[in-house]
Amino acid sequence: MTPAYPEVKPSHVSGVVKVEMSIFNSREEIEWYQIELFDLNWTNIPFASSYRIINIGYKERKSFDVYIRKSDMDEAVYLCTTSKVRKTSKSRTLVSSRICSRLDGEPA
Amino acid sequence: MKYLVTALSLFALPALANVPITGTVEAKCVIQTTKDGVYGNPIASKLSTTPADGGVLPVIRFDVSLADSYTANITHPTSFSTSPTLNDTVAWTGSTSVTQTSVAGMSGYEAAKVVVENTTIFDLTLAGSTWFSTASSATYGSSKPFVGGVYTALVQASCIAK
Repeated sequence: MTPAYPEVKPSHVSGVVKVEMSIFNSREEIEWYQIELFDLNWTNIPFASSYRIINIGYKERKSFDVYIRKSDMDEAVYLCTTSKVRKTSKSRTLVSSRICSRLDGEPA
Repeated sequence: MKYLVTALSLFALPALANVPITGTVEAKCVIQTTKDGVYGNPIASKLSTTPADGGVLPVIRFDVSLADSYTANITHPTSFSTSPTLNDTVAWTGSTSVTQTSVAGMSGYEAAKVVVENTTIFDLTLAGSTWFSTASSATYGSSKPFVGGVYTALVQASCIAK
């Protein structure tokens, strides 16, 4: 997911800011990713987006906007996408991958 | 006539222009599963991904485009995500190690890793690819045999901007 340090922009709604993100699926076995927003202690923070769980084909890229209340911006730190794994019929380990950008960092 | 042909050929030359190609490399992290992990069942009460136990270690690759922008946080499992009904406790152990690097300097990641409970944290100070493997072992309470069925567990691999 990019950028690592997204720019927080004003949105068309008063009191709400917008972050423009892009995700690329490099895992052939994964089709779904969940968007989450956390504070520094990994507690969930509310947000709005067209997708909560986003469907992306292998080697496909999708852009999405995340809307956050201005009042939550002091707390919001990590904006993450986490892969959703499929149930399997074999005894094995599954790998759930999570990529997190930082909202309190320097924009890249 | 010769001069006319030469003059005409000059007019036939294609228009040339320099078209610049520009690009920016931004901080980016990509996680890929290089090898799926499989639980071996060396004794009835144990499931393990260690090759000596008949298992396969999962291998995860982290690619970072800019140095010193991310940490790799890998958490080994402490519960099954799917399993038959189990009536006793399961004791879990696990560890994560660097198995391969694309840059020689990354070999220092292993010595510098920090382990916090079930999570191993690697500071990705160099750009390039790093391969990690995670060992996971589950032993059923009081050496009871595991119930027959499918057992899966999740390894959480996170790439977190610093």
